Order: sequence, then C-alpha cells, then structure tokens
Amino acid sequence: MEPHRIVLLVAALSLPLSAPVVAQGPAAPRGGASGTARALAPYDVTGYWVSEVTEKWRFRMLVPDKGDYVMVPLNPEGRKVANAWDPARDQASGEACRSYGAAALLQVPGRLHISWQDDSTLRMDTDSGTQTRLFRFGGPPSPNEAPSWQGLSVATWGGSEPRDRRDGFGGPVQDPTGRLVVAPQQQKEADYLKVVTSRMRPGYLQKNGVPYSGDALVEEYFDTFSDPYSHNTWLVVTTVVTDPRYLIEPLIMHAHFKKTPDASGWDPTPCRANEAR
Amino acid sequence: MRFTILLLLVFALPTRPANAQVDLAGEWSPRVYNDHMDIGDYTGIPLNEAGLLRAEAWHPDQLDLPENLCRPHPIDMGLRVSVSQLRITNELDNETRRPVGLRLKVAWQEPEQMIYLDGRPHPSANAPHKWSGFSTGRWERNTLVYTTTHLKEAYLTRTGVPKSPEATVTTRVHRYGNLLTIVFIINDPAYMTAPYIRESSWIADPNQVIPPFPCEMSPDGTIVPAGKVPSFLPGKNDVLSEFATEYGIPLEATLGGEETLYPEYIKKMKTMKVAPRTTTEHYRRTQ
Repeated sequence: MEPHRIVLLVAALSLPLSAPVVAQGPAAPRGGASGTARALAPYDVTGYWVSEVTEKWRFRMLVPDKGDYVMVPLNPEGRKVANAWDPARDQASGEACRSYGAAALLQVPGRLHISWQDDSTLRMDTDSGTQTRLFRFGGPPSPNEAPSWQGLSVATWGGSEPRDRRDGFGGPVQDPTGRLVVAPQQQKEADYLKVVTSRMRPGYLQKNGVPYSGDALVEEYFDTFSDPYSHNTWLVVTTVVTDPRYLIEPLIMHAHFKKTPDASGWDPTPCRANEAR
Repeated sequence: MRFTILLLLVFALPTRPANAQVDLAGEWSPRVYNDHMDIGDYTGIPLNEAGLLRAEAWHPDQLDLPENLCRPHPIDMGLRVSVSQLRITNELDNETRRPVGLRLKVAWQEPEQMIYLDGRPHPSANAPHKWSGFSTGRWERNTLVYTTTHLKEAYLTRTGVPKSPEATVTTRVHRYGNLLTIVFIINDPAYMTAPYIRESSWIADPNQVIPPFPCEMSPDGTIVPAGKVPSFLPGKNDVLSEFATEYGIPLEATLGGEETLYPEYIKKMKTMKVAPRTTTEHYRRTQ
C-alpha cells in the first residue's frame, strides 16, 4: 500500500474513536422528558443506614461542655449565644429539638431510613430525635410554609452540568441559529444528590448550644460507594451551613453512614437537650 | 505484515484513558477542623491491640528527633494538617503531551502525589515505599477514585497513632461546584480491625499562593539528648489518661476500637467509670 493511502486510512479509522463530534443539538434529559426524580436517580440512596463516628467524636458521642466550640467559625454574637446555653431551659420550654434540626441532624449519632415517599420526594427518618426530613424535587418551596426544625428542602440530582473546555472535551458551541448547544460527548450524567434547606427554626450545630439562626441556609451533598476492603456500602454527606448571623464563614461538616440490611438496631428517642442522641 | 502492524497502531493511538470527567485542577483552600490533637485521643479509630500498643508508646518528644523534624506526612495525612493548601495540576507525558494523570501538592512540607490515570499497573510489592506511595486511579462517573500503595510507615494522627507500611488508602475526590470533598478510606490490617474513613473539604481559591516550606534539621543532640529516643514502655504512659480526665470521658472509650464508632456505644458509656475531671497541661498539638 502506498504511504499516502496508509495515512488516509489511519486518519479515517482514528476519527470515530478519538475526535469529539461537533455539537449535535441539545439532548433530551436522560430517562425522557417525563422522567421523574425517582426514575432519574443515578444511584439508590434508599434503605437503612447507621452512623459511623470517626471524627469529632467527643463533640458527637458526648454532649460537649458549654463554650467548647473550637471547630466552629462562630462570630462574637454566635459565641455569646453559645455561652448562654441552658439545656434545662430548652427542655422545659419545648425547645429540646434544637440540636436535631436540619443543619446538624446528621451529626447526631443514630440510624437513618431513606425511602421514596412519592416519585418526587425522598423521605429521611432518623431514630435519634425521631425526626423526618422531606427532600422535594422540582421547584422552590412555597414561601408561605412556616419555619420548622427540618425546614424546607429542595433536592436535585447534581453533577450533570456539561463538560467544559478544561475537561478536554471542548465547550458548548453555537448552532446555526446562534444557540449554545452541547454535544453528547460533553454531557455528563448526574451523580450526586444535592439538597438545599431553608426556613428552619433556629437550632444548634452542636449539642452544646452552638447556634444557627433562622436565616441559615444548608447545602448537602450525598455520595454513596462501596469500599474495596470491607465491601460495605457507605453514604457520605457533606454539609455546608451558611449563617451570616452567627458564623464568620460557612461551616463545612461531614458525616458517613454504613448501609445495614434492615431496621435492626432502630432505637427511636425523643428530642433530648442534654443527651448525645 | 507491515499493514497489520499499522492497523494495530491505528487502534492503539486514539485511546483517551486519562481525560477528566470534571476539572479538579486549581488552587484549593482548606477548611480543616483539626481532630485528634491530644495525646491519648484515639477516639473514633478502629484500632486493634497492636495499634493501641504502638500509639501508647509514642512520646511527643519524638517529633524533635533530627530525623523527624522535616519528616513529611504521607499525602493522606498531609492533606489534613491545618496548612494543607492544595494545588491540583494535570500531568502530561513529556513526549506525547497526552494526559497521564493528576498531581497533588500540599503546603506543609510540600509533599506531592502523582495519581496515574493511564492504566499503568502498581509496582511489585518489593518496590521501594515512599511518603506519598504509588497511586493509580479511575473515574467513577464524576468522582475521581484512586488507590495508594507502597506507603512508608507513618502516622495516622499527629499524636502518634501509627499506620503500617502495609496500609493502602482508597481516596475519593468529588467536586461539588466550588467545593472539593475528599474521602479517605484507610485499610491497615496491621493496626486496625476495619477500614478507617474520614473526610475533608476545600474551597476553590484561584488566588491562593502556596508559599515555600523550608525546613532545617537541627544536629543530633540539639533538642533531644543524642542517642535517646523518647518513648513510653508498655503500661508506663503516665499522660495517657489526661485527655479522658480533661473532657470527662471514660478512659476505655478514648482508646478507640471498632465498637466505639457506633451509636450503641453511647448507652454503654453510661455504665462506665469516669475519673474525676481535672484540667491538665497535657500535650496538645497547636495546629
């Protein structure tokens, strides 16, 4: 075969395997336009999970001392409120659930049960404090709902933003009408659960009265995986609490949970102001 | 024959093994809230008997030995000290300019970790162990997952909890917008009964500058008498209980172990003896 033909052959065979194709127009959502949040779930987050406390142990497995907020970026107002913590007063005044609010509920050691309440609502029940959180897909919450311990949570499947040039796949391109469109090669599948919670009643970031206010915003990112050593399935939650009233910067917390086969060990407790769970 | 070889080359060339699913490169500012800063604080660590014995033998003056003054942490530990500014860069092959993986650099002692994403195998078990080991990774959807082997013996915490050279670390790196979360899964059957999982996060900070980290060793005998290696003999660690008495925790609970990681242990602790609380000048890391 002549050299120039070989070059042509090489070029022709290489194209379909390596070169990104130009924009194909906007792709339909996976699962079809009518796909529900449940149908679009990139992984199964449902089931029973138990806390595994490997860090901040003395802040989570015990009730820390009043004024022990070394790991929280409190501002002076936040420190003032934390230093005035009185668990007996909270218990007596019906405020014992302050440390079981959405911002810190997953820091409280215990068990979770996550299930689909309907096709667009994930439900999380906890045995510690016997709380229920609802993660609603599809739009902002009604502005008329009253603040509550668990607030209003809007859920999305995250991570499906198109790749950009930095990922080596080129960026969105313009179609003949000037619209920016994304080629199939640039599309990613959603791969995590994001939950944004607002309209919470004021609560505590730690059991010892470290406060967050009713203006706080909570962003949570959920990831699941199986570890290659024990082959357990894990749920890792990264929580970002933004509260301009009491924090000098957003507080980032983590919690992880091991999947359990059933409800064994489920141990419901009431809200308790002076107990670790 | 030539044609066959050419065809093989044709199919081999266009592979694209190391392209990222998301862009992790950049400067990342740590949001690290330090834990395990006190001697005797082994809480939440699934230590076995051997691990506990090694931890109890550790003396803080060991840090002042000449060979330890500039000793780097392995990257899984280096990423957790308070000055763990992180830089992630894409690594290209020098000749082909094709991506081969990612390089992590951390501020404190400037350790670097190369994560190969080009499918190369790990070296032989007899290959030298290094501070940052040998790492290969892959993408699971949008999460970078890599496994590190060939790590030197090092610390699991900065207060002497050991990690053996047989340990392997699986690391998951997930970018949520401008937030980077790294999950470490440390498997060390020599010193732990179960994988040890911990997490840290960073915020994107394009203007971050990682300063040089010069470190100078003092001659032998300058701080610690020459030839002496400070340590506690088994059962002779007289500061071990100070963390427990400072915070009012049952001593047994502070020594770690798998059972202590789970909610049921809260009930069990209520049946345990707690020594009277005292405030001590016990050793505590400051950063």
